[in-house]
Amino acid sequence: MSDHARSGRLKPLETLRGGSRSLVTGALVFRWVWLLWMTGLAAIGQDEMARAWLAWLSIGAAASWTLWLTLARSSWNTTVMLFDVALAVWMVGASSFVVQEGEVILGRPFFATGYPLSAPLLWGALRGPVVGAITAGILGVAHLLTRPLNGIPLNELSPEQVQNVTGAMLNYIVAGIAVGLVTRLLQRSAQALEAANEEALQQRELSARLAERESLARAIHDSVLQSLALIHKRGSALATRSTVEPHEVSEIAEIARRQQEELRSVILREPEPSPTGRLSLRDALEASARDVDGIKVNVSAVGPLWLPTHVSNELQAAVRQAVENAARHSGAPAATVFAEDDGGDVVVTVRDDGAGFTYDEARLNAEGKVGISKSMKGRVEDLGGTMHITSAPGKGTEVEFRVPLSDG
Amino acid sequence: MAENEPIRVLVVDDHPVWRSGVRNDLETSGVAEVVGEAEDGGEAIEMAREVMPEVVLMDLQLPQVSGVDATRQITADSPHVKVLVLSASGEETDVLEAVKAGASGYLLKSAASDELVAAITRVRAGEPVFTPSLAGLVLSEFRRIAGTDPAEPELTARENEVLKLVAKGYTYREIGEKLFISTKTVQNHVQNILTKLQLKKRYELMRYGIQKGLDRAPD
Repeated sequence: MSDHARSGRLKPLETLRGGSRSLVTGALVFRWVWLLWMTGLAAIGQDEMARAWLAWLSIGAAASWTLWLTLARSSWNTTVMLFDVALAVWMVGASSFVVQEGEVILGRPFFATGYPLSAPLLWGALRGPVVGAITAGILGVAHLLTRPLNGIPLNELSPEQVQNVTGAMLNYIVAGIAVGLVTRLLQRSAQALEAANEEALQQRELSARLAERESLARAIHDSVLQSLALIHKRGSALATRSTVEPHEVSEIAEIARRQQEELRSVILREPEPSPTGRLSLRDALEASARDVDGIKVNVSAVGPLWLPTHVSNELQAAVRQAVENAARHSGAPAATVFAEDDGGDVVVTVRDDGAGFTYDEARLNAEGKVGISKSMKGRVEDLGGTMHITSAPGKGTEVEFRVPLSDG
Repeated sequence: MAENEPIRVLVVDDHPVWRSGVRNDLETSGVAEVVGEAEDGGEAIEMAREVMPEVVLMDLQLPQVSGVDATRQITADSPHVKVLVLSASGEETDVLEAVKAGASGYLLKSAASDELVAAITRVRAGEPVFTPSLAGLVLSEFRRIAGTDPAEPELTARENEVLKLVAKGYTYREIGEKLFISTKTVQNHVQNILTKLQLKKRYELMRYGIQKGLDRAPD
């Protein structure tokens, strides 16, 4: 049931994050397609070019860059972005020198075509609509400047040519903004979903606690109040009589004693796992601190420390062994258990100021006195953690358990 | 206020059986005497003015005026009166609030009577009763929103170290030996930590006020 709930909880979030990623992958694929198209066009049209060598040089640069971008996806940063935009501007501008003078305004496709557009698509997808629009705007201006660079003054463009240039600029900008908006939408949806999940999780934990409190109240009402009423009634009856049989008094005492035990078991029961499969280590340690004999155990914790059930159970068991050890050997009246989250590790120390001993693992091994220490160590090592004992004669003993919490 | 005169204690708890138990414990010890009993925070504030106790034993769950509010009022009225909170377990948030409000420490109600007497003696001497579990609470309070606001009081590295050792159950003397400082210095650190906690409370209230626009004078 809870497994079902959890998978239902994660799927949409994964889909959204995946959507954002595939948008970026799509932008990369388009880049390769345009690279091939550009190479093909150049191969066919190189005889008509004014400077074919410049075309091949630019294509070589674009090919190496595309290959690197594809392979080094993880190292994309702002410098990479600026370089990419500069290359795109160069590809647009190079067209003016590659083709014959006055030829950029001919209707047929020439040189760089769609390749520069892959820059606004990629960075829009990664960094949102504003970056997409700015990148596209820069390319639009570069596109406009190819006219004068190719020997056609801007004021001599025909209305139709002005339309063409403007259309091309708008295409760039719209594409950059659109892809950015989709990314932003995906990211915002993912964030909203995450927040909703978090809230649902807290609600479930809260309702689990309320349910526990209610069942406690019910238990007290059902048995404790009844018994108290009974004791009150019988006691008052006895008080009015001149002679009282000892067994009558001990019956009342017996009711009180049974009730005391029942109440203890209700209050001191082990904490139940919350529906999310997590336990509060603090609550668990406090619960086991109450029923260790022979030593008083103080628990101090930094926060409730919600841990996966098995981690909490194993730590609780290891701590209990350490405390029982202290009760048996240290002679100290009290031990302190301290638990905290230390930068992603949960750290629990059990400390007494009793007799202490010279801790020497090799010697203990040789003497065969390793039972408890080995068992505690095994528990935390199974969780990927470590155990560390500090002790010296007359200086008490400190046992530290440290277990890493891999995100989960 | 001679050393051998019993410490004057005011017991605040809504449960008469508990109050008489505490009275009994203190009076058999000979170290302290109960000079008054109150069953609510409001009554405690008034009695603290009348009977002039040295130490107030404060329950937190009271019918009308809470133990936290009573602590705040009593320590404001008479700063020389020390408030020692005696709480049931599971009231961590309230305990922390009481300490921020000026309480000198807290003990669980399950503490043995000699622990209680020792704690009363310590707070009367002006020494906070900083149990390991209180240290844990204070640590989590300072970590809770650490670093989000640079103007907010924060603990120094050394104070953090001391606090963590207190939470682990080390005595001041042991902490001093571990850190190569005097016991007195450890005590000073603990006192500074408590002062910062109270400053933090004041700072939070102030920031809350600014957020709500309460700092502006009415037009």
